[in-house]
Amino acid sequence: MRYIAVLSGLFISTMAYPQVAKNTIAADQKGDSQKAASFRSQGASDHEFVSRYCAACHNDKLKTGGFSFAQVDQAHPGQNAEQFEKVILKLRTGMMPPAGLPRPKADALNAFVTGLETRIDRAAAAHPNPGAPALHRLNRAEYRNSIHDLLGLDVDVETLLPADNITHGFDNMSEALTVTPTLMEAYIRAAGKISRLATGDPGMQPIVDTYRVATNFSQIRHVEGTPFGTRGGISVVHNFQADGEYIFRMTLVFTRNTFLFGSTMNGQQLEVSVNGQRVALLDINPLMKTGDNDLRTPPIKVKAGPQNISASFIKKGDGPIDDFLQRPDRSLADDFSGQIPGLTNPPHLRDLGIMGPYKATGVSETVSRRKIFICRPATPDQEEPCAKEIVSRLARQAYRRPVSKESFDDLMQVYWDGREHGNFESGIRMAVQFILANPEFVIRFERTPSGVRPGDDYRVSDLELASRLAYFLWSSLPNEELIAVANQGKLRDAAVLRQQVERLLANPRSEALAKNFATQWLHLRGLTDANPDVYLYPNSDDNLLQSMLRETELLFDSIVREDRSVVDLLTANYTFVDERLAKHYGIPNIQGNRFRRVSLTDENRFGLLGQGSVLTVTSASNRTSPVARGKWVMEQILGVSPPPPPPNVPALAENNVLGGETIKLRSVRERMEQHRANEPCNSCHKMMDPIGLALENFDAVGAWRTRDSGFPVDPSGQLVDGTRVDSPTGLRRALLQYSDAYVANFTTRLLTYALGRGLSSSDMPTVRKIIRDSGEDHRFGSIVLNIAKSAPFQMRRAEARPAVTQQSVVSEAALDHKKRVDISQNKSGQ
Amino acid sequence: MYITRKHISRRTVLRGAGAALALPFLESMVPAQTPLLKTAAAPRARLCTIEMVHGAAGSTRTGGKLHYWSPAQEGPDFEFSPTLISLKPYREYMTIVSNTDLNGARPWSPKEEGADHTRSSAVYLTGAHPRMTEGADVECGPSIDQIYARKFGQDTPLPSIQLCIENPGSLSAACGFGYSCVYCDTISWSSATNPLPMERDPRVVFERLFGAGGTAKERSSRSREDQSILDRIQHSVARLKQGLGPADQSRLNGYLDNVREIERRIQAIEQYNTARGDVKQLPNAPVGVPETFREHMDLMLDLQVLAFMTETTRVSSFKMSRDVSSAIYPESGVKTPFHALSHHGEDPKNIAEFAKLNQYHVSTVAPFLEKLRNTPDGDGNLLDHSLVMYGSPMGDSHVHEHRRVPVFLAGHASGKIKGNLHLNCPDETPMANLLLTIMNRLGIEDLNKIGDSSGNLAI
Repeated sequence: MRYIAVLSGLFISTMAYPQVAKNTIAADQKGDSQKAASFRSQGASDHEFVSRYCAACHNDKLKTGGFSFAQVDQAHPGQNAEQFEKVILKLRTGMMPPAGLPRPKADALNAFVTGLETRIDRAAAAHPNPGAPALHRLNRAEYRNSIHDLLGLDVDVETLLPADNITHGFDNMSEALTVTPTLMEAYIRAAGKISRLATGDPGMQPIVDTYRVATNFSQIRHVEGTPFGTRGGISVVHNFQADGEYIFRMTLVFTRNTFLFGSTMNGQQLEVSVNGQRVALLDINPLMKTGDNDLRTPPIKVKAGPQNISASFIKKGDGPIDDFLQRPDRSLADDFSGQIPGLTNPPHLRDLGIMGPYKATGVSETVSRRKIFICRPATPDQEEPCAKEIVSRLARQAYRRPVSKESFDDLMQVYWDGREHGNFESGIRMAVQFILANPEFVIRFERTPSGVRPGDDYRVSDLELASRLAYFLWSSLPNEELIAVANQGKLRDAAVLRQQVERLLANPRSEALAKNFATQWLHLRGLTDANPDVYLYPNSDDNLLQSMLRETELLFDSIVREDRSVVDLLTANYTFVDERLAKHYGIPNIQGNRFRRVSLTDENRFGLLGQGSVLTVTSASNRTSPVARGKWVMEQILGVSPPPPPPNVPALAENNVLGGETIKLRSVRERMEQHRANEPCNSCHKMMDPIGLALENFDAVGAWRTRDSGFPVDPSGQLVDGTRVDSPTGLRRALLQYSDAYVANFTTRLLTYALGRGLSSSDMPTVRKIIRDSGEDHRFGSIVLNIAKSAPFQMRRAEARPAVTQQSVVSEAALDHKKRVDISQNKSGQ
Repeated sequence: MYITRKHISRRTVLRGAGAALALPFLESMVPAQTPLLKTAAAPRARLCTIEMVHGAAGSTRTGGKLHYWSPAQEGPDFEFSPTLISLKPYREYMTIVSNTDLNGARPWSPKEEGADHTRSSAVYLTGAHPRMTEGADVECGPSIDQIYARKFGQDTPLPSIQLCIENPGSLSAACGFGYSCVYCDTISWSSATNPLPMERDPRVVFERLFGAGGTAKERSSRSREDQSILDRIQHSVARLKQGLGPADQSRLNGYLDNVREIERRIQAIEQYNTARGDVKQLPNAPVGVPETFREHMDLMLDLQVLAFMTETTRVSSFKMSRDVSSAIYPESGVKTPFHALSHHGEDPKNIAEFAKLNQYHVSTVAPFLEKLRNTPDGDGNLLDHSLVMYGSPMGDSHVHEHRRVPVFLAGHASGKIKGNLHLNCPDETPMANLLLTIMNRLGIEDLNKIGDSSGNLAI
């Protein structure tokens, strides 16, 4: 995406236009005669196209946006691919020529652009560059999924590893996945913790793990995972490390003045359940005050392994509540509402603590233990062969390749080390820890085969390709079947590759694409930070935001599973809702927390542009932001970036109280028009704003509205290409004129994600080839398959080889001896 | 709270702090009060660098005239300005440095214009000008906390720690425009090319400081295992390098250097743990990230007190927010989102409101100074032996200006900074001069330039 950001300069042309028009002829005549000659040789029509629509501004004299057609060879665009890719993008997305200037007819434009593309692609085919991505460290999501698939254990990766750097829009870009001491430490620590969780640890000291319920999470209704007949609370899957007794500790929410939130409601009870079975029922004393003892269960026997624990309130009543004042859905919005008589607002859970193990008795069978202990030694003699079997199988999967003799010896050394200090199981646990801390697990190695010279392009090995595929489609390890196929050298076979890609996509693990690719592409991870103003949007609780995210994930997932056209993301006439979201959208007759597919009747809700997630993440907390929405559509959908705003622009005036004086309320549109009156702002804003304004009927949390701050919503406007739009539906239709640009943008981003590296203009021929080969209907599966077949996915360029390998071993050993000295003197801080 | 009022029962603490659940764990984990190193009379200074984004109302033209941040008087007899009023009790420790410019954060070419929010944080402690790139070839630092840690942080278990409040992983509006997000994610750079991640979860920080495991014995046996595993990884170095190109080899070398560094840390922490003896009772590890800004601030600052007190590390850097954050701080009484308010549009009412927010942010640091001052250390207290730097890499953030950046120091840095001073610098004094002065005073004497520095300040 990097080269796209540079486009910004070209936007200035819209401002420079009036003076320019008069100079058209003069500029044309002054054109470089050599370049003009090459235009002629390429065909008069292209020359005419440029001089008629482009060269009036983009000539040597004006160099509008820092670009002149006289400086580039139109006949050989491959030589100036970077500039011409910008030209292609600008034309394909309708951003050029600027508004108000004559525009070419669609077929003329298409012929011109296609001609450029064909010439660039032809030139690129002669000199392909698959690139050489850096060593790829597993990021958080990949680490979590890999652990899950390896050990059958769900770990909270956010507390184990620091956040990954994001660049080119994604957190799986190998060049940004650097290793720092803090990170290394985290991997080492995580390896220790996870190995204990996986094998169980009856000797461990009791600890407290606490799960918190967000204060913007409504606890009035049933919460997914808790027993039916209860409301609110929390449901978690907790990994117990040993069979033993555990105490569950619950803290309730209190109001600012120390009363129990919900103190007006008598007879409330809190139920604790393990895997759906009630283990304790605790009465809540409404006279409780802040600082009184937490609610605690007696010690309860729980078995090791992941168990579903929930703490929720017994539902005491149902049906509509008819109070004088209605409490908002975001039930904790005002903490006093929990202590006013006559207002129905029951107690809420603040957190659940799980303390233990006390009186640990051992470790029962768990999923992880079954995955690890594939054999059990009955006699001491059987220990070693069994250990060998266990570690070699685990290491093969974790390292994603057959384990070398040396690696295997290392593993057994570690096993023996652990065995000597404990028993068979402690040896295995140490080996698991070693596997997880090992660079061979944490880093995806791609090695240059011997015989390949520096600068040569070569196919990566089948096993490396298998890893590339699995981390692309699953964000996880290749499974046994994929490793086996690769190990037999069959993955090069086109039919086998297709079969494996289809198999990987069909597997539920490919939901990783929705969770990692789609949410990042669409910026939906920002929903976690979205905090709709509680006074303006009192019904927007965390439950709703979570449902919004799930909706978009499910829509994307349906494109994957049903192998639909990626354009359907913009046009889908169906979506996925639960009760909360259905109510938000005004869809009737949906009850409960289960998401289900519904057909949409309101055309304005079709596709991504009608989804709460997108509309919320592009809004401020207290108002919509047509600019942010416009920018989002330009960047995430069409793939063009407006330049950064200049610094001294006042923020949009807020509709709120300052210094005790109430400002006159104005609609967002009115406030924006004032903002846009500044000329430098207008040049970019007239591209972004009409897009965003067309969505003004959706408020800052994506609910439909017809009035804004009391004024009727006016969604009308004119896009930069002259199209008039006046509704989300109209906008969607206008955008579909540019569906080619959208597909190109989608493919560019998916390829970026798949390769784990930023793309440059030299990758655009690959993108176009993928689109061409995927066919007219742009099916998701075809795009994925053609990415998997593409040169950069299959190949790699060899870097210069290390001079003397032997020497580096020696120096490494030498380093080892003086490492203390080195570290204390030279090692950087941190 | 855990140090100054230890006699107060946990319940009382809870009652007083509303629903603040975050603190009790510290109580249970605080080892004996005496620092563990054989403390010299004047121990080596601790350095804590805190960054707040978006400048301050006092750096605007209007706010400057009204002395929102910089006091009207220079020298020792200054009156505390409205923004800094919460620091009044620490007057003898305070050094307010006004009217310096952070030039490295400015755009140096037309294409860099507008992206100030992305660049600023990277410049705050480095004085350098970040290279415009979204790739791996980021370049800025090193930052002063890391220069200090490299020289004076190597004999403590951790050379330094990096903490933050807002989630660095989330894609912020500040990111992009040709710059890698890493520039706005961290203020610590161990070298020109190595930005250090900042940790948001107090629990993770806690485990880094004191190790994982419930008892000294458990921690000790775990660190033995960790060491054995790290040793084994180092054995396989040569094998791992086979068939890698030079760039990948150097990447792997970095990885393995880190392995050694971690091994050193684990040993050091284990030694400390042995010396420390067992903790008082069952550890109630911090719950994770608290919900409110204030609770989170308190916890992160408490961890820094704890780290300094035990000399587990002497260096911390702490990022209180991220650029373009639209956070709302209800406790401040200001309802406008942070970034929106910082673009005050020259409206005096907005500027006054922004000053109120700045005042609130500064006030969250006051309890930290209080705790440092109440913690005995060597021949004095911890604030005597610390230098806390608080500031922002922007001045008037409405116009993305990096002139007159707000900054103050607190603490005597083991006698190296006299305090009780408002220094108003001549126009166009580089802020890098302050960075250089801090380094020179703290014992990095051979350093003669940071960024565009032109000399020392008279503080």
